[in-house]
Amino acid sequence: MRLAWAFFKRDALTAISYRISFAVQLLGNFLILGLIYFIGKTLGSGPLPALEPYGGNFLAFLLIGIALTDCTGVSLLTFAREIREGQLTGTLEATLLSPVRLPAILICTSLWSYFFSAIRFVLYLGIGAVLYGVNLQHANVPAAAILFILTILCFMGIGILWAAIVMVVKRGDTIITTLGYTVLLLGGVLFPSAVLPSWLQKLAALVPLKHALDGMRLALLVGTPFSELNGIMLKLGIFTAVLLPAGFVAFHIAVQMAKQNGSLTEF
Amino acid sequence: MTVGGRIELPSREHQQDRKTIPGLLVEQVSKIYFRRRYWLGRASEMEALRDISFSVLPGETLGLLGPNGAGKTTLLKIISTLLYPTAGRVEFFGRSVYENTAWARKMTGLITCDERSFYARLTGRQNLGFFACLFGLPKKTSNQRISELLETLGLTESADRPYQSYSSGMRQKMAIARGLLREPRIALYDEPTRSLDPLSARNIRSWIQNNRYRWPEQVRILATNQLVEAEMLCDRILVLNRGLVIAHGTVRQIRERWDKRDYAIHRISCCNLQPGRVVAAPERGLISVDHEPSEQDCSLLKMCTRKSSDGLSFGLSAILDSGASVLRCQTDEAPFDEVFCSLLMSEAGDRP
Repeated sequence: MRLAWAFFKRDALTAISYRISFAVQLLGNFLILGLIYFIGKTLGSGPLPALEPYGGNFLAFLLIGIALTDCTGVSLLTFAREIREGQLTGTLEATLLSPVRLPAILICTSLWSYFFSAIRFVLYLGIGAVLYGVNLQHANVPAAAILFILTILCFMGIGILWAAIVMVVKRGDTIITTLGYTVLLLGGVLFPSAVLPSWLQKLAALVPLKHALDGMRLALLVGTPFSELNGIMLKLGIFTAVLLPAGFVAFHIAVQMAKQNGSLTEF
Repeated sequence: MTVGGRIELPSREHQQDRKTIPGLLVEQVSKIYFRRRYWLGRASEMEALRDISFSVLPGETLGLLGPNGAGKTTLLKIISTLLYPTAGRVEFFGRSVYENTAWARKMTGLITCDERSFYARLTGRQNLGFFACLFGLPKKTSNQRISELLETLGLTESADRPYQSYSSGMRQKMAIARGLLREPRIALYDEPTRSLDPLSARNIRSWIQNNRYRWPEQVRILATNQLVEAEMLCDRILVLNRGLVIAHGTVRQIRERWDKRDYAIHRISCCNLQPGRVVAAPERGLISVDHEPSEQDCSLLKMCTRKSSDGLSFGLSAILDSGASVLRCQTDEAPFDEVFCSLLMSEAGDRP
């Protein structure tokens, strides 16, 4: 716990020390909310047939899509960014000199980002409910919480896998940008994946974000009971069970490779 | 095992006679860097270390001496588990480092000369606090230890300033403080005075020297290319060049073996010496004699003699025969940097 707090404090102090950047980041959250509002307003608040399974309201659909994607984006990027920064600043070696196990270091490095991301998630939903009239009265909050945790864990696995790749290839901005757009397309962030051609829908089924968003929208907007969310939870659970250990194993291998070829501090 | 932040040996080791077990054993360690092929380039390999073997007893300080690129940092990184050797093994107190990595890391303090390895936006104290926690020091111990180290290294005043505002010397001191947070059993210094001004360097050296008394059981390795540092702080020296050990021994042993000069300079203080009574006699090995007038009846003679001759005896006899008395005779040792250079040059000449 003390270790987690040390990492959290380190990252919080660093983030806050960049005052303007921190303030702009906070402001950016509200700008995104404005963007969601005006897109929703343009498309109208009336029920859209394609969105019927999720309650039909595009603004609510988009709000949850963007809020959850933001959290998954943190998972995807935070580990690789930490590794890259550690390589550039030389702190990676200093950290790896400690007796703390690698998985613990990795999880602790992401705590501040997850904390900030969870606040944004709640902020998006809160403002959506209070100002934009998104109806969350029937929300199945416990199911949403479980789906949220499963989503984070699953994407944590992908993020750590990605960090392992960055450890080896050093720069991978273009790869992650392309991956991000693919996930946006197939995951159903801005539109339901049901509108995709059938062959793309088959591909979308392999994207954990699609299931996470489906489940979250059903739980929060329609209040779907656990019994109907079991399938989605199971799929996310399988993704997590595969991706999270795979991430840790890949990262362990990447560190061993770096120690073997002396590239731990190369960048 | 950590007791109040201090690393204790496992009980198994306590039962054995410590003097029979080296604190650090490096056996036939080799390191080859394999570089992959990028696009049309060629794959290559670079041998950084070849068959390095040595041991260090508890309380001993071993100097790793060598020019840039000799393999000193690579060797320290291998000992501290940041790098894996291609072959060979490393043991701390009889236990393999690579089979007990977490334990080995608790034992080790690596003091790097890398000024970048801290968090620039955090203060010095916050940085040390973070690493203390990472190293598993209890909060109370770590606060006390950080204050002690900051005080000793003269950083107390600036401890609450951001690290990025520190000078090179202060950053170097921070690296030393971090490396010694745990009071490690194995302290690895990688050029600890590289970026320091002469005064700070002297302070750090005397501080490292004092640590011999503070932690008498600590194993210390000091990688440096500053000969004065090695001479001052190390019990033994290992000279590396291009990944090979080219000399190993005490400073005196290395000096004696590698001093390539065929002459020696002696400074003799004497009284009542008549000018012109002692003169050079090259055929007896006394190459030259220089009189340096001193106070009153005393004078200083600088005699240069051939090493393999009895030139010194001949010169001293001449002084005594003249009725003068010898107060002091001192033989200049070859400067260690001269010995070091001759060692490197002869090694380069030996290589194909």
